[in-house]
Amino acid sequence: MTEAKSDIHLYTDQTANGIKISMLLEELGVPYKVTAIDISKNTQKEPWFLEINPNGRIPALTDTFTDGSPIRLFESGSIMQYLVDRYDTEHKVSYPRGTREYWEVNNWLFWQMGGLGPMQGQANHFARYAPEKIQYAIDRYQNETRRLYRVMETQLSKSTSGYLVGDKCTVADLACWGWVAGSNWAGVSLDDFPHLNAWLDRVLARPGVERGRHVPKKHTALENRHKTEEEMDKEAGKTRAWVQQSMAADAKK
Amino acid sequence: MAAPYPPKPIRIWVTPPGPNPWKAVFLFEELGLNYELKPFRFDDVKKKPFIDVNPNGRTPAIEDPNTNLTLWESGAIYQYVIEVYDKENRLAYDSFHERHLCNQWLHFQMSGQGPYWGQAGWFQHLHHEKIPSAVERYCNEIRRVLGVIERVLADKPADAQWLVGNKMTFADMAWLPWNFRLSEVMLLSWDEVWEGLPHVRAWHEKMAALPSWQRCIEIRGRLMEAQGLQWNGVPKGIETFTEYEKKIAEGEDTTALQH
Ligand SMILES: N[C@@H](CCC(=O)N[C@@H](CS)C(=O)NCC(=O)O)C(=O)O
Ligand SMILES: N[C@@H](CCC(=O)N[C@@H](CS)C(=O)NCC(=O)O)C(=O)O
Repeated sequence: MTEAKSDIHLYTDQTANGIKISMLLEELGVPYKVTAIDISKNTQKEPWFLEINPNGRIPALTDTFTDGSPIRLFESGSIMQYLVDRYDTEHKVSYPRGTREYWEVNNWLFWQMGGLGPMQGQANHFARYAPEKIQYAIDRYQNETRRLYRVMETQLSKSTSGYLVGDKCTVADLACWGWVAGSNWAGVSLDDFPHLNAWLDRVLARPGVERGRHVPKKHTALENRHKTEEEMDKEAGKTRAWVQQSMAADAKK
Repeated sequence: MAAPYPPKPIRIWVTPPGPNPWKAVFLFEELGLNYELKPFRFDDVKKKPFIDVNPNGRTPAIEDPNTNLTLWESGAIYQYVIEVYDKENRLAYDSFHERHLCNQWLHFQMSGQGPYWGQAGWFQHLHHEKIPSAVERYCNEIRRVLGVIERVLADKPADAQWLVGNKMTFADMAWLPWNFRLSEVMLLSWDEVWEGLPHVRAWHEKMAALPSWQRCIEIRGRLMEAQGLQWNGVPKGIETFTEYEKKIAEGEDTTALQH
């Protein structure tokens, strides 16, 4: 196998979806360039960015493909699959194609993409950003997030390695990590989830994760564990204005 | 008639109302694979034996005796079925570039369509009180996402009206089952749903007309009937979804109410 040459360029911001990719790249030890996108300034809605991701969200990634032409990718889960397929030939954080573990990793990756991410995202929205406090909606998404944590907790309690699939940390763990690390922001406590707590620290102790989580700027989600609801609400104020402007802009389309 | 492929039928667990199980069945039908349905009631998704198959208690899930693998999450099922059983790449590409682009659209469907269409449907029909701002939030997101696809298709040549390359792939198919419910989810006529989205409409209608999808609708109709369900998935004899959930939580037999 010839060493794949990388020309990776990551467009990202400090969010749970963004750091999935930088943590993975650091775990793989693959060089990459970063362009910091300030989503609160709507850089991700500018035409040049929409050329890379027509959906106007971070993360997005470009690379030079084996045939010399560029490839542009969006959706963090798909970017992760691309990166391990091409650059994790030693299977540091993945399993060989076609093995049982390979499919199980995919299973959990999609679970994060279609379940944990969107649902915890809705909890963030209704608990922190929505123009009106709708208690029912807050409860709905916090309960669902808690239920999903419980599914993860059960899986981890049965795991001998302490990771979601097989005997090592994989992209499934890396995909979930930023979200679980942000539990307090969604207003969900990890107190009843001992295995999840231990897993959070286990993943955090990995040097690649430690480097990658601070891209493109410092990761501060874990510090929310020591903040009160009022403090977090106050901080959400700045973002709240942006979220509401974006909602109004989208509604006009 | 050719020998069934794969030799042993793949079992698909389905609860009839929701779109996600039909997303799996659609792919099996389109590839002509050997499968068997394991229909069961929504009442039992969070109970044994199903949670031993899928600890997350959601459908679809599959059990493949040919490879001895159990899998859930419709996106993971799609990638598995395509890689293992679509050897001729009828609905996929074997080139690296296209392969990853298909996966990208599949991930977008999983994270960007399913959850949001689902929330819109919930607040529109199943939740017991009207919360206009929530309905509006999710309907706006639907419009935005459909707009993304509209622009992508509009930029492509007329003979390549598919998300990747110039043929239908699993990445297109994944979008159909939820889009098929749009009129109901948004409470709009189909003409209103597709307003300003001519390319999306043509793309959608081409897939909806496929015999494989027509079979899905027919099977779904039969299973809905057999389980005594109304159009919204609530058993006949029960007024609202809230009431249905309450009865499930209390361990009541909801089939008994139909008589
Ligand atoms: N399913 C997508 C979600 C990406 C996403 O929602 N990104 C957020 C930040 S975490 C974003 O870019 N928001 C900007 C906006 O909505 O304008 C993925 O996992 O890549
Ligand atoms: N991300 C999952 C979603 C599956 C899903 O939500 N399935 C619904 C049926 S359409 C379900 O089983 N719901 C059970 C429940 O909500 O308790 C997938 O695509 O497989």
